[in-house]
Amino acid sequence: MKRPLYHYFMIGAVVLYLFVPILATLIYSFATQWHKTILPEGLTLGWYRDLFGDVRFLEALGRSLLLSFSATALGLVVMVPTIFSIVLYAPKLEKFIQMLIVMTYAMPGVIIAVGLIRAYSGSRIPMILVTVGAYFVGILPYMYQGTRNSLRNIHAESLMEAAEMLGASRFTAFSKVIIPNILSGIIVSSLLSFSILFGEFVLVNLLAGGHFETIQTYLYQKLNTSGHIASAIVVCYFLLICVLSTIIVRVTRSKKGGGGR
Amino acid sequence: MSYVTIENINKSFNDQQVLHNLNLAFEEGEFVTLLGPSGCGKSTLLRILAGLTTPEAGIIKIDGKDVTNVKPKDRKVGMVFQSYALFPNMTVEENIAFGLKMQKMNKEVIAKKVSRMIELVELKGKEKAYPRELSGGQQQRVALARSLVTEPKVLLLDEPLSALDAQIRKNLQKLLRSLQQELNMTTVLVTHDQEEAMAVSDRIYILNAGHIAQEGKPHDIYTRPANEFVARFIGNYNVLTKKQISLLIKDESQFTHDLYAVRPEAFGSEFIMDGYKISGKVQNIMPLGNITRYEIVSGGVAVTVEHLHKSYEKLQENELKTLYINKEDVIPLT
Amino acid sequence: MKRINGMLFVSIIPFFILIALFLFIPLFSMIYASFQGDGGTGFTFNQYAEIFQNFYYHQAFKNSIMISLLSSLIAMVMAIFAAYSITLFSKNIQDRILIFANLTSNFAGIPLAFAFIVLLGNSGLFTLLFRAWGWETLSSFNLYSWSGLILIYVYFQLPLAVMLLYPVYQGVQAGWKEAASLLGASSLQFWVRIGAPVMLPSVAGTFSILFANAMGAYASAYALTGSTYNLVTIRVGALTTGDIFARPELGSALAVLLGLTLIIAMFINEWLTRKVRRDLL
Repeated sequence: MKRPLYHYFMIGAVVLYLFVPILATLIYSFATQWHKTILPEGLTLGWYRDLFGDVRFLEALGRSLLLSFSATALGLVVMVPTIFSIVLYAPKLEKFIQMLIVMTYAMPGVIIAVGLIRAYSGSRIPMILVTVGAYFVGILPYMYQGTRNSLRNIHAESLMEAAEMLGASRFTAFSKVIIPNILSGIIVSSLLSFSILFGEFVLVNLLAGGHFETIQTYLYQKLNTSGHIASAIVVCYFLLICVLSTIIVRVTRSKKGGGGR
Repeated sequence: MSYVTIENINKSFNDQQVLHNLNLAFEEGEFVTLLGPSGCGKSTLLRILAGLTTPEAGIIKIDGKDVTNVKPKDRKVGMVFQSYALFPNMTVEENIAFGLKMQKMNKEVIAKKVSRMIELVELKGKEKAYPRELSGGQQQRVALARSLVTEPKVLLLDEPLSALDAQIRKNLQKLLRSLQQELNMTTVLVTHDQEEAMAVSDRIYILNAGHIAQEGKPHDIYTRPANEFVARFIGNYNVLTKKQISLLIKDESQFTHDLYAVRPEAFGSEFIMDGYKISGKVQNIMPLGNITRYEIVSGGVAVTVEHLHKSYEKLQENELKTLYINKEDVIPLT
Repeated sequence: MKRINGMLFVSIIPFFILIALFLFIPLFSMIYASFQGDGGTGFTFNQYAEIFQNFYYHQAFKNSIMISLLSSLIAMVMAIFAAYSITLFSKNIQDRILIFANLTSNFAGIPLAFAFIVLLGNSGLFTLLFRAWGWETLSSFNLYSWSGLILIYVYFQLPLAVMLLYPVYQGVQAGWKEAASLLGASSLQFWVRIGAPVMLPSVAGTFSILFANAMGAYASAYALTGSTYNLVTIRVGALTTGDIFARPELGSALAVLLGLTLIIAMFINEWLTRKVRRDLL
């Protein structure tokens, strides 16, 4: 197909806009000195060495992973069976779930944080558990979408009926037939949720503040002390997002292609 | 007493009654078809038999046992779905073995039963294939095997062949019928395809809007439709009013019913003693392969006529033709 | 009615407990707090009265709404053209661009603000470059100003807008275009008379998602200058957790009003969409 030049220009402009800040950060994280010159004065791996030598960073990384992982796992264990049950056996409740999702859109991090502080600060529930709970609510839209679509794709209702006709209980049918078939779909939703939570700053900063330093709050501290180390953190963060996205794309592709296992 | 009985079943969806006090009975080893247009309630009835849908009222008995409140998994009923509903994560073998595993059967017994079943449905060599690697016809044979291997008391088939090509459908009908007879399996088929129903069944129930329109052997239903609905639904019957048939046959005294049905192939060119005679213009000739279909117009009334295609007999549009028909082939409808 | 379903209850109960604990209870306690006086006492409309009287909070809302509208609009216009351009390329390239958009949509908040500091901060790469080339007007660009913030907002809105609009173009079937051109319509006429009306509801929907996304954004602005930008989210955060100026009841009232703004925006979108759709039928 013949394409006018301006289509290339349009895409080029968007890609450039999105790419340049990432590239600059990448270069900055390898630069020895870069204050007065246009190109960095020298290249070094020193900032990464410093970063990974910093116990505080490693701890923050560990906390971030733990926090995002527990919230995602909780979402997986609780939401998938719930959404399954509602879609198949209580379709009237689906409207309610959709209302909850609209509510999460109308209540971004800052708002929900105010409410959570109001409700739980000073209570016996540790704020870090409250953060996990808030994350659980936050990933509902992604888990719902992913689970719902997977269930629709495999015609879950007739699979359940077939399994029941063959003598399986509902629980057996769910675990032996439904779960293996929606696995790739819910893995994608989980990875998506995980990567969103991993980049979350507002809730964990407002709720747990200085008591629970994650990679995002650590980065915020470093912004004002060392730009080079901060950019090294950003690069690491972006790399992790890249890895997660690659896995998501792979899993989605293999599902679409329907190739062998 | 019959092997399966369905007594006084009623069912409504959203205040709309879809089954009206139905009573049916099937014998052991019988192949029964529930035939009707879409929306007549035949699938709902089958799902009630399976336990997947709960009726508002009525009793279901299988092998003398009241199963009305028994869960589908404990009814010992097998079911094959239109969408096959094969488990995509399992191979052919695993799909077929699923029901036996649920019964916690010994592994060796399972393997033996599964491999015999695979032979029966002619899928040898496909044991390790996944459903998506099979054609539609093969998938439906797996679904059939999966249901049969558990040796259910009744096998339910919900439009199992309607998603398949004509040729494959014909082959599977044959397989289905021969398997059913070999295993002496009590089978209930739901379909909207009257040819399929005729081909495989011992007995047919025709359903219309939640009522039984007619019940009987395929031959009886085909040659003796009881009412207008059945006549129109089965084959291409000409349904004529008293006035129309009088104009056509010009013998008013004979026709006392309001409606009559005449099969298109009941007309012939040879003289029939004590039969009716009609003469008229030939119109709308349609060669349909092995048969030729045309209309005879007489006295302003058109009837469809079909006969086997014969190369020596060349029909012309508007040619005058005389046909004969047996008196008993003009069927009064109630 | 279906048979009583054990699995339904077993799975649903923990779900609803968690939703109640972390969505409804905080929501209600926030609304409740917004009607309390400072220190959490009594029942009063004072917090709301203060917001409506205080010029500072008017400005916060005005700023938030302006920056959200402007950044959504810019991202929207860019995405409308870019997403269309994308559809003209091969499937392989389309996929790659979408993966890239998806990737950068995760690049928001603190890391994003920092990347822009590297580029355009006081000793940023571009700032130095422009200064060296003697482009004074560009080198005096201030990232910590409103235009700087818009630049950042557009960055996180753009990939989202592209990802949301791309499938909308898929909805405009090639067959329609062929049919229209056989009937003698030019490409422009096709888009004006068929393409645009079909896409309008989705475009409006995308816009409202972008608007809500920007209204709720907090981290980028916070990372740039702490609490100096007068945005609603920044004010809410400062009032709730600020060490010296903490006034959680006032913060709650502000948060309630922000939530209402988002709900109103969603309703306007819903209403518009329905109106457009009815006109179509």
